[in-house]
Amino acid sequence: MPKRGCLGCSFPVIVGLIVVFLALFVIGFIVGPIGSSMLGGLGLPSWLSVPRPDPKLPAEVVFHIFGFPIANSVIAAWVTIIVLVGMSYAATRKVKLIPSRLQSFLESVLGWLYDFCKEVAGEENGRRFFPVVTTIFLFVITNAWLGLFPGFGSIYVTGHEGEHIHLLRPANTDINMPLAIALMSFIFVEYFGIRSLGGRRYISKFVNVGAFFRGARQLFSGKLKAGLSSMFTGVIDIFVGMLEMLSEFIRIVSFTFRLFGNMTAGEILLLIVMFLVPFVVALPFYGLELLVGFVQALIFGGLTLVFLTLAVTHHGAEGH
Amino acid sequence: MEGLGISLPTLLAQIINFAILLVLLYLVAYKPIMRMFDERSRKIKESIEQTESIKEQAAHAEEEAEKRIEAAGKEGQELVARAVRTGEEVRQQTQQEAKRDAELLIARARTEIQRERDEAIGELRKEFADLTIKAAEKVIDRSLDKKAHRQIIDKVLKESTTLKKG
Repeated sequence: MPKRGCLGCSFPVIVGLIVVFLALFVIGFIVGPIGSSMLGGLGLPSWLSVPRPDPKLPAEVVFHIFGFPIANSVIAAWVTIIVLVGMSYAATRKVKLIPSRLQSFLESVLGWLYDFCKEVAGEENGRRFFPVVTTIFLFVITNAWLGLFPGFGSIYVTGHEGEHIHLLRPANTDINMPLAIALMSFIFVEYFGIRSLGGRRYISKFVNVGAFFRGARQLFSGKLKAGLSSMFTGVIDIFVGMLEMLSEFIRIVSFTFRLFGNMTAGEILLLIVMFLVPFVVALPFYGLELLVGFVQALIFGGLTLVFLTLAVTHHGAEGH
Repeated sequence: MEGLGISLPTLLAQIINFAILLVLLYLVAYKPIMRMFDERSRKIKESIEQTESIKEQAAHAEEEAEKRIEAAGKEGQELVARAVRTGEEVRQQTQQEAKRDAELLIARARTEIQRERDEAIGELRKEFADLTIKAAEKVIDRSLDKKAHRQIIDKVLKESTTLKKG
């Protein structure tokens, strides 16, 4: 065995790999639109070139179940669910104190997220928020990473009118998926907020009219100056409450479009790069998309965690 | 909205998907893994406590052993000292006994010697008296009366007291 080598391969192997790589790169460049417009077709077979991408924002409906349309992004979400649940099931079928490899992998992922929750929300709340935050994180990251697998965006089925429909579409690139997760995040934030603060106190965060009415009462009982200043504070309180409420709904929109925008942009970027040069060049972008998927999942889960923590903490302006 | 692709059925489907995933993952991943975490941290805590108690016990035992060794050493020293003392006593006793025996022996021997000498002197004296008388008879060749006889003997004996002293 030759001792010298590179990247764990002997030199002949690595040289061969580099040659194959360069050949693929050159062929990709030639058959791509840039190369073919510069050099002409050169007689290479047409199946090597990638058709011009035609990204559409709405997800296509693949089939109907009892009249309920099933879009290709929904199918992708099912694949994600099957992968996640299947892996978790395999890992925890026989839970052992000294874990198997799969179990220790799952443990390290969940343990990291659990520590993250505990760090942000504290010991007790972290434990309560952990399932929601982790599910969001895992769902988003698995959707994003599964979308990079071959088969997504390349398998077609034929629709009723003979048109080509993608069977799978990365679930995050259909706006319904980010919106669904954002709504779930919103629902859980409100649910935990109401449960830990009580309905009245939680709503008083948004509809804060106590100071205003107190001021009005003081005004009627003759204390003009105190009443007016109280009413002024009350107006500010009401305004702050409205802003608070508005921000609650703006969160949904920002959640949705942050994820949707990043994922869709990444998908289109990959399509364009592969259209331009079918081989090799897209690899760095795949790496980038792995990172983006992780970051987006972390942002979605982390922000949800932060909003949950804010929702259950006692609001400072209440005691007055 | 149409351009973005928001459609109520798909949205509903994705919300349901998320809920299903949450429930399934809770059952399949979070619950067992959390239980595992709790169990493990409990085990670790337990084992740390156990180690602590074992350490304590060991320290205790060591202390005990040290104490015992010290006591045993002291006891041994005491024993040796006692033995030495006893030996000394025995030696002195025997010495004294031997001395006494020797003295007794010497005293007895001395009295014996004294007695034998006295005896010998007495015998010698008797013989000497007889011899003297015989010699005197021969020299004088006559019989003296008893009174003169006695006088002569006594005179001789008196002269021979030097013998007794010697």
